[in-house]
Amino acid sequence: MRRLFREKMLGSARSRTYDIPLDRGAGSGFLILLVLLMTFLAMLALSSSFVLGAMTSRWSSGLENKVTIEIPATNSEGETRSLAEIQAVAGRMKSLLGNHPAIAQTEILKSEDVLALVAPWLGEDLSLAEIPVPGLISVELIDADAAVIKGLSERISAIDAASRLDAHEAWLGDLLRFTRSLHFAAFLLALIISITTVTAVAGAVRARMAMHKAEVELLHLMGASDEYITRQFQRHSLLLALKGGIAGTLAAFAGLMIVDWIGGEMDVVLLPDFRLHVLQIAALMAMPLAIALIATLTARFTVMRALVRMP
Amino acid sequence: MIKFEHVGLRYGIGPEVLSDVSFTLEPGSFHFLSGPSGAGKSSLMSLLFIGRMPTRGIVSMFDQNIAQLGRKQLTAIRRRIGVVFQDFRLLNNLSAFDNVALPLRIQGKPEKEIRANVHELLEWVGLGDHMHSLPSTMSGGQQQRIAIARAVITRPRMLLADEPTGNLDDEIGFRLMNLFEQLNRMGTTIVIATHNESMIERFAHKRLILDSGRLSIVEPKSWVRRKIEEVTGK
Repeated sequence: MRRLFREKMLGSARSRTYDIPLDRGAGSGFLILLVLLMTFLAMLALSSSFVLGAMTSRWSSGLENKVTIEIPATNSEGETRSLAEIQAVAGRMKSLLGNHPAIAQTEILKSEDVLALVAPWLGEDLSLAEIPVPGLISVELIDADAAVIKGLSERISAIDAASRLDAHEAWLGDLLRFTRSLHFAAFLLALIISITTVTAVAGAVRARMAMHKAEVELLHLMGASDEYITRQFQRHSLLLALKGGIAGTLAAFAGLMIVDWIGGEMDVVLLPDFRLHVLQIAALMAMPLAIALIATLTARFTVMRALVRMP
Repeated sequence: MIKFEHVGLRYGIGPEVLSDVSFTLEPGSFHFLSGPSGAGKSSLMSLLFIGRMPTRGIVSMFDQNIAQLGRKQLTAIRRRIGVVFQDFRLLNNLSAFDNVALPLRIQGKPEKEIRANVHELLEWVGLGDHMHSLPSTMSGGQQQRIAIARAVITRPRMLLADEPTGNLDDEIGFRLMNLFEQLNRMGTTIVIATHNESMIERFAHKRLILDSGRLSIVEPKSWVRRKIEEVTGK
């Protein structure tokens, strides 16, 4: 009976976590907090990147093969044109361009539609009599080739010198450049986060190794392989990084929900929908795992390097 | 066989703490290592358990020149050496059981075998009732017995002990010396660093004497010779 009791107790003795007391002493809390913050920032950077992508695709979608012809409210001499004059020019253009081989479809926007477009800036209660409104023709091309656009521009100028063709390139290019720089900033932030995590984990592991130098030496002298000793530090770093990572993920999701709620309250038309789809959520969920992996590999590399100095 | 040939050791750019040390430990031999404080005993012990590499000379362990061995081979050699440190070097976060089991776990032995061996050995050193105690809650003598049990649990080819009976009463000290002798009879090479002259006198084994980093080897006096000296006073 006594022996049986002992055997049971021996079983519990095996449940020790580490040979080296890595889970004791100060410093673990700091690393968890740091990983929490890094995960939080990384997730915000990644979700911003997703939102930017959605915004770019929403703004640019359908514009690839579309151009707009603008018939200004004033003619080339600077005289204000009547609505009938603008409609006449628009009609001429439509009939002329209708047979163009590069054009799939043309549509003259109604004056009410044009007013609706400017309403957010000029107000809802405008009448066509109060304000000169330009004419707009939406043209869908078969292929938005530069030569085609140039040829079209020339033909439009021949019909009406004041009218011009807007291929959306200028503002779309600016938008794409802007989103590219934001993507680059997100990449830089991810790089900084990785470097910070590596530096912090390496520092923490080196500090732990210095703190437990005697224990590490003892295991080494007993014939523990480098792999055996390294595994202990690796496991410790992985657990701390996972704790920090999970906390950081929860904090980031809470932050994103708040931002989504604020966006919903503001009801801003130009801002994209903040909802993420499954793959994006999976990518965000993988973030703490990636940071934990970085922490584990850093711990492994740091300990291996230190152990090589031992005979 | 352990062989030291013209071995020297210095720390950094300091003077040599061991100079031109040459000796051979035959398999199954028993040696005491003695000498005054600062003579280089700890340094010699650290070379024997490959805690350091010599700055000159050749150290051969089990017929292999350690300077020519890779890390994995050195690890394999260390597993054939048991060490009892003067300051015990027990891991305070582990129970007595886990401390003794550690060398077996490092070697990847199955848990069933570990339990049986550790249980038996702790019973033998009189700590069967303290298996789950942490070293910090135990007396110096008990800690020393755990350190000894840990050093012999793997049945090493060579056992090095630094003042192993220092904190023990005479009876337990004698029992442990008998354990060392028993291991020695089974073929384990034993080196015990000690200041305990009565122990050295009582167990007739060769003596390595270090003085100012230089080593001399003294053969044991026979029991009869010692008795004659005691009676005649010569």
